[in-house]
Amino acid sequence: MSRILFFMRQPLVVAFVLIALLLYLGQTLSPGFASGGQVLRLLIVASLLGIVAAGQNVVILGGREGIDLSVGGVVSLSAIIAGNVMNGADSGIVPAILACLAAGAFFGLLNGLGVTLLRIPPLVMTLGMLGVLQGLLVVIRMGIPSGRAAPGLSGFVTQPLAAGIPGIIWLWIMIGVLMAFMLHRTVFGHRIYAIGSNEHAAYMAGVPVRLMRIALFMTSGMFAAIAGLCLLGYAGSSFANVGEQYTLASIIAVVFGGTSLAGGKGGYTGTMAGAILLVILQSILTTVNIDESGRQMVFGATLLLLMMFYGRGRAMRA
Amino acid sequence: MSKLKLSGVSKAYGATLALRRGDLEVLAGEVHVLMGSNGSGKSTLCKIIAGSVRPDAGRILIDNRPVTITGPRSARAQGIGIFYQELSLAAHRSVEENICLAALPIKSHLFVDRALLKQRAARYIRLFEEVAGEGFSADALVGNLRPDQRQLVEIMKALASEAPILIFDEPTSALDRAQVDCFFEVLRDLTWQDRGIIFISHRMDEIKAIGDRVTIIRDGETITTLNLAETDAASVIRLMVGGSGDMPASQSSAPAIVEGKDGAAITVRNLSGRGFRNVSFEVAKGEILGFGGLHGQGQSALLRAIFGAGSISSGDVLIGDSRFDASSPRDAIRRGCAYVSGDRGREGVISGRPIIENVTPIHYLRDRLMIARPSKLRDKVVPALQSMHTKFQSLFDPINSLSGGNQQKVIIARWLVDRPDVLLLDDPTKGIDLSAKADLFALIRQLAAEGLGILLYSSEDAELLGNANRILVFNGGSVSRELTGADRTRYNLYQAAYEAA
Amino acid sequence: MAEITITPRTRAGGMRKLLERYPFLPALVIVVALLLLNGFFSPNSLSYRSLTGLLSTYMALVLLAIAQTYVIYAGDIDLSAGAILSLVNVAIVVLMERWGGGAGAVLLALALGLLLGLACGLLNGIVVAALRLQAIVATFATSIFFTGFALYILPVAGTPAPALFWRTYGGRLLGVPFVFYILAGLVVLLLVLSRTRLVTQLLAVGDDQQAAFQSGLPVVPIRIKGYLLSGLFSALAAFCITGDTASGDPLVGGKMTLYSVAAVVLGGSALSGGWGTVVGSLLGALTIGLINSVVFFMGTPSEWQNFVQGLAILVVLMAGVLAGRRARA
Repeated sequence: MSRILFFMRQPLVVAFVLIALLLYLGQTLSPGFASGGQVLRLLIVASLLGIVAAGQNVVILGGREGIDLSVGGVVSLSAIIAGNVMNGADSGIVPAILACLAAGAFFGLLNGLGVTLLRIPPLVMTLGMLGVLQGLLVVIRMGIPSGRAAPGLSGFVTQPLAAGIPGIIWLWIMIGVLMAFMLHRTVFGHRIYAIGSNEHAAYMAGVPVRLMRIALFMTSGMFAAIAGLCLLGYAGSSFANVGEQYTLASIIAVVFGGTSLAGGKGGYTGTMAGAILLVILQSILTTVNIDESGRQMVFGATLLLLMMFYGRGRAMRA
Repeated sequence: MSKLKLSGVSKAYGATLALRRGDLEVLAGEVHVLMGSNGSGKSTLCKIIAGSVRPDAGRILIDNRPVTITGPRSARAQGIGIFYQELSLAAHRSVEENICLAALPIKSHLFVDRALLKQRAARYIRLFEEVAGEGFSADALVGNLRPDQRQLVEIMKALASEAPILIFDEPTSALDRAQVDCFFEVLRDLTWQDRGIIFISHRMDEIKAIGDRVTIIRDGETITTLNLAETDAASVIRLMVGGSGDMPASQSSAPAIVEGKDGAAITVRNLSGRGFRNVSFEVAKGEILGFGGLHGQGQSALLRAIFGAGSISSGDVLIGDSRFDASSPRDAIRRGCAYVSGDRGREGVISGRPIIENVTPIHYLRDRLMIARPSKLRDKVVPALQSMHTKFQSLFDPINSLSGGNQQKVIIARWLVDRPDVLLLDDPTKGIDLSAKADLFALIRQLAAEGLGILLYSSEDAELLGNANRILVFNGGSVSRELTGADRTRYNLYQAAYEAA
Repeated sequence: MAEITITPRTRAGGMRKLLERYPFLPALVIVVALLLLNGFFSPNSLSYRSLTGLLSTYMALVLLAIAQTYVIYAGDIDLSAGAILSLVNVAIVVLMERWGGGAGAVLLALALGLLLGLACGLLNGIVVAALRLQAIVATFATSIFFTGFALYILPVAGTPAPALFWRTYGGRLLGVPFVFYILAGLVVLLLVLSRTRLVTQLLAVGDDQQAAFQSGLPVVPIRIKGYLLSGLFSALAAFCITGDTASGDPLVGGKMTLYSVAAVVLGGSALSGGWGTVVGSLLGALTIGLINSVVFFMGTPSEWQNFVQGLAILVVLMAGVLAGRRARA
């Protein structure tokens, strides 16, 4: 019995149980909600969020109040860059990918340098960076047209690639497998947990703490860039601040996946479930017929309710 | 008259039983010592009394009346004050604010009464005026104080509760002798006021000096209560460790001087840096060089600087024959240097992670690994842990599931996978139990026999006298005396530590 | 007794002592420098009239930054401050309009606005301190809830505030602009608050929550009171924004939350809690306002303005953190 209880309290299990419940609820409210095609569409949206959350996840795991508020800005920037580089031509896809990754890595590097060399708290550094990125978006948008996605990219995101499943979902699954391998079977992964659990002890045991932290922010920037690229493929063209919503959503997906904001505890599989959960919840709310205000209130309240299942702080009196 | 009585108190954290059956009776006017190896449940027992841990079962009586303690506030209200081993201070608040924090004096229902607060705090600061040392004042921020001064503030804070029952959980671990003496004077005054005092320390001499009775706890169970006047150290230790209870290795005879025939393992010439100056010595391969003296006289600072985690302003360090100046621990580890800190919570344990991941970081670095295969690592990790007699269930259990002594063994085992040339030990036995100490020193001697050069700083004289081939006594950041051969006596060590005064 | 000559840290320098006492000094220097820059690019911007305008525009942010400061004292954060501001803004505008816009209606609406702010603060305090949800995500969730509520009260921006209200806010009393009375009242309020037991307790909790609990402080009620203060000051900020914009807008505060956090950091307070000043936050909020006006007066091309502002704020944020750390180190 206690084993079952323990099992039931694993964040991953909670997330999947909640996903099943929400799908059932959606199907009841609006028949067809849980149909195959609809679920695939949800998974495409979830994969965009999930890819951003992968970067957010490693930054949070690395501890010392690690958080990346600039991901939303990087997603928007990457979508614009990609749109302009490829501008509707398949031949531009590879250069676009390279340009986006470079931009993501660059802003991640700046974040990482600020956090490590100047020891600025990540929340402050990435918040400031978000402001810079938003300013940069205005500059770019004034100067150049927003650009279009190449058909190859749009097809990859929206059309089935293999086994009836779109390429982006395959990409997400691949990222999931790679993240699991990286976190649990590589020295890099073990070092992420080490600096997240006890940074000073990790330093004394020869872990290159600063380099690690810079690498984590660069990883986050690059995942956000990939997501921005895919988002362009999903939407066809980029529009103002298309990525803004991803900043806090990615943090919530990580939290719903059972990763502690204090660092050193959690993993990416849960985050994937968290991303799916969040997307389904939003989708149900758009399905039911209530106006925007009611939708937001229900969404906020549900988020609070769901948080009761996850990562509640320890009671001070144990 | 019974001040406080506990019977059958127990506490479990999940599957781990922290306290099986705690019984304790404290009389008015006595200093009641709690003894037990680490992880035996002493601190848990204290925290239950102080309300910061919720007991699963048991009865608590104060002045023969049954009470329910619902939290630290309720404990205070019922007359219990406590000194926490891990301290409970606010680093950015001043000394006087910290002393009065639990009951800030107020006026007009809303505002802090600064004048009264000052006056109240001054009463307790005055007690330690003579020994508090430089930089200690009522308005100093606690975060700017030395560890021993912070510990004094925590003592004052406990005293300020003016509680009839006072608990001191290892209050002397960072204090020097003068401070301890002063504190004991205060304690004696309190016993004359008929207060009941619970006192925990690992130092036998302190217990003999201040204690009236002792309650011994082993594996979460109260074994017995004795009159200290009617017993001796050896029998107390036997009761603590249980079974036959051999005296730990640190008590056995000191090793002889090692001839430097194999050449030097590490040489330090005129080394100065933050916290120490102009230190020179040479450690032969196979030698254990002890660092003695009062705490905070530069021993730790020197060891950390050699390991690349402190600052060096001038001088040379040589490992073997080649110059060595580590700019980071990473650098030092690559060059065959190892460092074990006594502050395992901060500097050793990667908390919440599996035991195996706590052993492997050094191996990753020295073998430049990229991929971590558990099956391969297991073959390297298990022998290292076994050589320390580490008790564990599975390599994948979180390290926090082990007792303090076993955690420290895991931390030491991480240096045994790839052998270092030089081992720096910075008070490695702080707060670990006697049997773990014995295992540790057996290993250290074996490592020395295998040709490692070992630097050992210990705050316990007995450990130095029992294990070091030579002892350098530190005072004010430099070496004031070297003790070798028959000079290595407790008396000489005391005298050298104090002589600059 | 051995004379202990080694101390882990060198004696405090004069500069550090000064910073330790007045942690908001760097922010003050930045504000003065920005004022001078403003004057350099546009001498007119230092006129009494322009400064009054600046103050009445940024008073809301000043108050929101102060709201944020009290929770950050305790090591918490309130990402719903801007949403509370929006909610109170639409609530009082709608109430004033419904009750006819007279003096009585205005005062009654303001009183209810304060209660609404306190209620929002209480909800935040309960979910973060009592239910122990992580502050960043929990207050983000409540901000969505509050925004929804604001949208329910007023689905689209535009309902005007009564003339009496905004004329008073933007007007003069005995020849002195009304915002100066607000500023004076605020200074008195902050002085009074700084002497209360609550502020010391909030700082002690932010320093080390477990230690504060073990010392016997009622940690949960203290943190809830911090959120109550935050809700209260967010409501006051809403009054100022209503006075400045003279209308209700359910999304007006959305962008201001992150600026309020930035202002606190600019002022030299530690995000991790236990250390800071409200004066610093006040100056931090003014810094953000002044940066915006300097960038404008410098003649920056309009498409570059956001970028230069973002960059300048990032730079002063870093300066705020570094200076704050110097004071504490």
